Parts: sequence; C-alpha cells; structure tokens
Amino acid sequence: MTFRLFKSLNSGFVLCFLLLFVVKVNADEELKPVAIVEENSDQWQQTLKAAQGQSVYFYAWGGSKAVNDYLRWATRELAKQYRIKLIHVKVTDPSEPVSRLKAENGRTSAIDLMWVNGENFAYLKQQGFLLGDLWTAIPNAAFLAVDKLPITVDFGEPMHGFEVPWGIGQFNLIAEEAVYPQPQLSAKSLLVIAKKHPKTVTYPRPPEFHGTTFLKQLLVNLSDADPRLYQLASQQAKNELLPVLWQYLDKLHPYLWQQGQAFPSSAAEQLLLYQQQNLSMAVSFNPNQWLKEKSTKQISKSSVRRSFIDGAITNSHNLAIPKSAPSPEAAKVVINFMLSEKAQQEKFTGVWGDPSVINSLFDDKATMPAHPELHSSWHVLIEETWQQRYGG
Amino acid sequence: MAATIRRIGLTSAWLLVSLISLLPILGIVVGLWPSELVNIADIKPFLAYQGLSVSVFMTLFSAIFSTLISLYIAFMVYSQYHLSRRLQSFEKYLAPLLSLPHLAIALGLVFLFSDGSLFFADSGLPRKGLSTLIIAIVIKEVPFFLLIFSAIGRQLPIKYWLLQGKALGYQDYRCWWFLVFPPLLKQSRLALLAATAYTLSVVDISLLVGPNIPELFAVSVYRWQSSFAAGDQGLAFWSNALLLILLAMSVFILYAHEKFAFAGCKALATQGSRFLIGKINPMFKAWLPMLGLLTAMMVLVFALWSFGLNWHGNWHSDGFALTQLTPKLWQDEWLFFALPLQNSLLIGLLAGLLGVACALLALELQCQKGKYWPDYYWLLAIILPQLSMVLGWQIMHIWYQGGYHSGWIVLSHLPFTFAYAYLVLKGPFQNVEPGYELLAASFGYSAWQSWWQVRFRLLLPAIFTAFAIAFSVSIAQYIPTLMMGAGRVTTITTEAVAIGTGSQQDLIALYVLLQSILPFMAFFVAALLARRFRGSMGGQDVRDY
Repeated sequence: MTFRLFKSLNSGFVLCFLLLFVVKVNADEELKPVAIVEENSDQWQQTLKAAQGQSVYFYAWGGSKAVNDYLRWATRELAKQYRIKLIHVKVTDPSEPVSRLKAENGRTSAIDLMWVNGENFAYLKQQGFLLGDLWTAIPNAAFLAVDKLPITVDFGEPMHGFEVPWGIGQFNLIAEEAVYPQPQLSAKSLLVIAKKHPKTVTYPRPPEFHGTTFLKQLLVNLSDADPRLYQLASQQAKNELLPVLWQYLDKLHPYLWQQGQAFPSSAAEQLLLYQQQNLSMAVSFNPNQWLKEKSTKQISKSSVRRSFIDGAITNSHNLAIPKSAPSPEAAKVVINFMLSEKAQQEKFTGVWGDPSVINSLFDDKATMPAHPELHSSWHVLIEETWQQRYGG
Repeated sequence: MAATIRRIGLTSAWLLVSLISLLPILGIVVGLWPSELVNIADIKPFLAYQGLSVSVFMTLFSAIFSTLISLYIAFMVYSQYHLSRRLQSFEKYLAPLLSLPHLAIALGLVFLFSDGSLFFADSGLPRKGLSTLIIAIVIKEVPFFLLIFSAIGRQLPIKYWLLQGKALGYQDYRCWWFLVFPPLLKQSRLALLAATAYTLSVVDISLLVGPNIPELFAVSVYRWQSSFAAGDQGLAFWSNALLLILLAMSVFILYAHEKFAFAGCKALATQGSRFLIGKINPMFKAWLPMLGLLTAMMVLVFALWSFGLNWHGNWHSDGFALTQLTPKLWQDEWLFFALPLQNSLLIGLLAGLLGVACALLALELQCQKGKYWPDYYWLLAIILPQLSMVLGWQIMHIWYQGGYHSGWIVLSHLPFTFAYAYLVLKGPFQNVEPGYELLAASFGYSAWQSWWQVRFRLLLPAIFTAFAIAFSVSIAQYIPTLMMGAGRVTTITTEAVAIGTGSQQDLIALYVLLQSILPFMAFFVAALLARRFRGSMGGQDVRDY
C-alpha cells in the first residue's frame, strides 16, 4: 500500500520517503548504536603507527580513467599524510579478488583491500573471508549518512561491519536531448522513443548488472512499484508481476539496436557505442557521469541525464578488507581516509563525480530521487527468465 | 666418466622438458578439481541452459571455420609471394598486423566497417555477430599462418618440387596445390591446433564482436567461472568439462580434415580433372597491400583517438566536430606506462628465450630418441582452457608461499612461449637437410659442434620467428601475469586489458598502441634478421639455379 503512494509522490518527497524506508530497514535489524573508535583514541593512534610504511594492495576495477585518476590522487595523499603506499591492482572483473581469496582459502592473502558489492560480498561474507567490525574500528564510519542513504544493506545482505560504503550508485540513462526531451522516463515513453528512433535504444545483456537493473526499473514502472517486489518473490507474485515485463519486452525488442538480436556486453561497451553515435542512450550507475564525460569531451554536448519516473534504483559500492590481509591496519587507515571529508569531496567534485556517503557532504543535488533496490530474489528471477525467453 | 655426465645431462634435460610440458596438466587437474560445491546433479541445470546447443555449435563452427579459411587464404597468398624475389621477405610487412592485439583488430574492424560505422551506414557487417567475429579472427590468423609457412618453407625444397611438377606438364597452380600443399599442411598442423583452440576459448573478442543471443560458449564459461552466485560454480565445472570435450573434438576434426585434404589432392591430381579453385590464386596477390592498408587505417584511427580526436556531431548529423588534437594524454600517462613497459620487455625477453631454448631441447631429445611424441601433448598449454589451468597454478603457488615476483611470472609464461616456439620450430627442425650434418661429421666435427654450427645455423631464421612469436605471446599474457603476480608486477598488458574494459576511447587507443610497440619491434627485427640467414632450402642464393 505504502509503495503505491510512492509513485504519486512528487520527486522531491521521494528521497524523504526513502529515508523512512531506510530507517525502517534499520529498525528491522535492530541495529544497536555501537561505540565507534575516535580519531584521537589510543587504539586508533596505534593503528596509525602500525600502518606507517606499509603497502596496501587495493584490488579495484581498472577500466575507468576517472576512478584510476582518483586513486592516483589518493595514493599521493596517503603517502604524504600517513606514509602508506597504496597500490591499485587494476582488475577487469570484481570477481578476480574473490576467486583469489577462494584459492588462498585463509592463507596470508595478496589482497589488503578490495572494492566489492552485491553477490561477491554476500559470498565472501558467508565464507568468512572478510574482516569484521570495520564500522566500529574506523573513526570516520561515524559520519556515514546512514539515515539519508540506503547504505547499511548490500543487495539484501546486511553489511554487519564486513564492508564500508564508499560511494553511491544510482541507475540513470545518458541520452541525447533531442531524442529524450522529457526529464523523466516511463516504460511507455521509452517504447514510443524506440519506435520513433529504431535501432538506437538497447541495454547491456543480462546478467550484466546494468542490464538487469534496467529491467528492474521497467518492472517497477510497469507494476506501479508493487510492494511485493521488495519481499521474497512468492510464486503468486511472480506469476502476477513478471508477465507484464515480458509482454513489454516482446513489444520493445524489435525496435532495439540490432533488432534485439544482440546486446552490448557491458555498460562500458554501450557507452562506446553511444559515443560513436550508434545509440541514442547509454546506461550508468554514476549520477554525475554524464557531466564528467561531457567535460572531458567523451560524449556529445547535447547529452543529458534521464532517469525513470519512479526514481533511480540506488545502491552503494563498498570497501572490504580480507581477514587474512597482510596489512589490515594500513587498509583501515586507507578506508578512514577514503571516508574523510577531503577524499569524499574530491571524489565528488573531481574527475569521478561519485556522490558522497558522509553526512557533512550530503547534498540532494548530488543525487537523484532514489528508489530502493528490489529484493534479491527478483534479481535472480529476472535474470533466469530473461535467459529462458530471450537469451537463447 | 664422460658417459655418466652425458647420462646425467640427458636425464635432467628430459626432466626439464617434461616438467614444463606437464605444468598445463597439473594446472588443469588442480584448477578443475571439484570442490564440495560441485555434484553430479548440477549437470541438469547446465544441460537445460537456454541456447546451450546453439551456442556450442556456433563456437565450434567459428573455431574450425575461421582456422581453415585462414589456412587456405594464407596458402594462396604464400603461393603468390614465395617465388617473387622482391617480396621474398614479406614477413616484415606482416609485423604491424601481427603485433596489434586481437582485440584491437576487432575494435578497429567494427569501428571502420560495421553497420553504423565511420564509413558505412549499412555495410551488412553487424557490429556483433558470428560473421564479424570470424572476419576479425581471419584477419589476425592469416599473417600468423603466413609466418609459419615461411618458417617451414625455408626448410622445404619447394623450388625442386615446382620444377619437377612443371617438367611433368602441370600448371603452376596445380603444382602448388598438389605438390606443396600436402606437406605444408602436415607441417603446420600444430599451428592449426593452436589457432582453433584460441578461437574456441577466446573471451575478450567474443564479448566485443561475437553474437550474444545466445552468447558464445567461451563467454558463458567465463561468466560462470567468475560468478559466485549460488549454483554458478557448479555450472562452471561442467562447462569447463564440455570445453575440454570440444577441444578434443576440434583436434579430431582437424586431423580428419588433413586426411580428407590429402585424399582430395591425390584424387584431383590423378584424375587430372579441372581444378577451379587454383584459378583464383592470383587474386591473392592483392592480399598484402590490402592488409597493409587496413593496418595503416587502424593504426591511424588509434593514433588519432589517443590524441583526443572525437567524432561528435549533433545527433545523427553528418558534420564531425573535430575536437582539438592534443598530446596531453600521452604526457599524463607517460609516468605510468614506462615501468609496465619495461617489465613487459624483461619478462618477454626472458620467457621468450627460455621458451625457444626449451623447445629446441625438446625437439633435439626426441630427435635423438628417434620418436616424436604426439603434437597435442606439447601444445597442451595452448589447448587447455586457460582460466582453469592458471587457477590451478595459482593454487599451487599459494601452497608453496613463494612470494610474488617476476620470476613466477616468467615461469607462468614459459609453458605458453614454449608451446608456440615448439609449434614454429617443429617443422623446420624435422626438415633440416640431413646431408649437411653428414658432411659436417665427415669433416670431423663432433656431434655438438655439428649441432651448433650446422643445425642451429640452418634453423636460425625459424628461431628468430619462433622467438618473435614467443616474445609477443608473453607480452600478451594477462591472466597468468595477474594471477601469479597478484598485482605486484604490472605489465603493459595488465594495464591495457583493465583499461579495455572501460569506455574511454582515447585511453584504450593509447594502450592498444603501447601494447603493440614491443611485439612490433620483435617481429620487425626478426624478419630483417631472418633474411640474412638461409635455411637449408631458403635464402637468396638458391633462387636462381
């Protein structure tokens, strides 16, 4: 019932509504207020001391120049401020460190710090590969904007101190203004556009993460944000809600790029196609990517950001330390630095444009009206049924 | 005493060679060892996976088809150039294309020629599709086969065969097809195996230009292997098992093709029937210039991108607004790519030299024994699925707790450089004219002297080619470098591959060019050097008898 209200709310209120939702989630988990270590405490001073002169091998996706440049900046700052050597291990896929931790199986790891979320986090947490109590051990975790952003649960898996939010992802489209004049999209208006400009609309092939989220946005819109989408998917809910999505896709696919006979393999590939003027839209999880790409002339001047009328599906990307990391103290200092005002500010205003997760820098304008993630059972369900219907 | 030393030497040599060749098997056994996550019931969802049969068929078809097409094109090109004096050393023209990574070729191809590309609104070449994938692979494999043919051809008495054929009244093209093709095909069997195995399991190109409804099998395998969602590791195990079966099947198909081609040539030769395919041979004279043009266009595109050129018009307008060209990116990145480039160079030199040395050792040992082991055994590093194999090495490396340094990376590249060096050298090695060594023995040369001063010298052109290929193979390794080096040692490829998963065109182009520089130098220098040494049947001076 409450979620039916959701759609009718004006976008300005949506965020406030989300706030209620997050508070509700927190209450459900009975998140007790815990004492977080302070900057000037003995414990933290000891950590700082132990961290000096250490190297931190940070496993993070290396495909984005913006992120790489940001990490180069952080490396310089960390060396200056804490005498810590941050080394960015550029991986192509976030599963690479997961597979390594599995192979190491508890032996001293080659990884000190990793960039993680979603199913990789859930797996690592279940396997007991991650260092816990990060929220209490890191002073700056006290300033996380937990009341304003959905950053305590990672795709249905409570973080429980095994990872710390670093930034925010919000699903949006980067699109040509002339083709997408309306500031907000619905499933219906997208179909009209696809018909009017055939072969210029597409989405990354599920189970690619952006592609699945695109389908989730459509499902939310087509089902008027049915409250059952945020609970474990029952057989009945499945039978009632999903067919609408498939009927819609049956109508949409003939007008897609390559008539829906092929899809981009990733959001990055779709953006390349967009840059080369093959598409009228690309997808992104960074609400400010369009501005940054425009300022570096990667995309055309006429590019704008578009989101779905129900609000952008929002989640966090996070930092975690393996239990067997060789320099856990230094890794904690790095996380603490990453959550500092200076680092969060630079992350947002610098080349990257990733929104801040701390209270002091929280800014409505940095983020879009948010929509909560669907229950993770829907994620699996959408991927599997899509594969059955369209993937073969 | 001398006999004992000799025996010890021989035994340790065998030990070394078997160790290197056993590494792939060891890796795949450890890497694929079923964990508690895998059980036989998982095979059901795997077999029920939508589109599996089409995906497997497409993958097998593209692997076999692109390899054979490349083989025939390369042979026809080779037959056009082999006897032309001016183009004798055509290898150096191949250097630029050989040194561009596969992915760069695919990227350049679709950017220049596919539907909605720079030059064509509707070229009939889809941005993603089986045909695009096959064309991209063929463009890259033909020069590879030409290089292999050239190494083999230097040790074969092709000129005599042609002369004999002509004396019997056969036209030129018939001589090529009936007399030269069968032995050349037999000698290049290893290269065929390598090319097929590569296409069967390649992920990056398949993701970029391959069809994905359904997706190619290698992509599914990779996706399951790198997913830790419930059930996916079980799927990964069974899909790897199927991949192994596919690899075995393609070995079988290639052997069958060889038999069939032999029989076909023989039948056509004896029947004296009209043989039309030979008539189109001359068309392939145009291949090298076309290839040169294509490569030049691709390099130009990448260079322009790396200097910040963008094609931004208004939506669907024809006018390109050229943003200003600037060397800023090169200046920015210079600080960061110098070290990876240096690491790549050192690792490549070491792994390449060791690979060639071990391949020569393996061949010599077999030659002394008088019995050659099956080809696929030596090529296991290339044939087996790389991700599982290297995962096995990674697990063993972790057990051993030997730290992370370039030594391990060289060792992890060695099976690959060894296998490629072996596949280049085997044909030439077996075909060294025995008369020369007999002559050397009659002059009182010791076995060692005769090996070093005669056989080794005769093999030099092939050795240069083998080294250039082994070196570039080492440069191109991503998975072993990352998994064994754990990020401690960055190479130009670990950087380039990571960048390649992003969407920043200028940076991707810059790293593509950087990644090509070292292999380019290796191929170019090898081609120049190879000209200066004659094989037992090649070289300038035997041309005009």
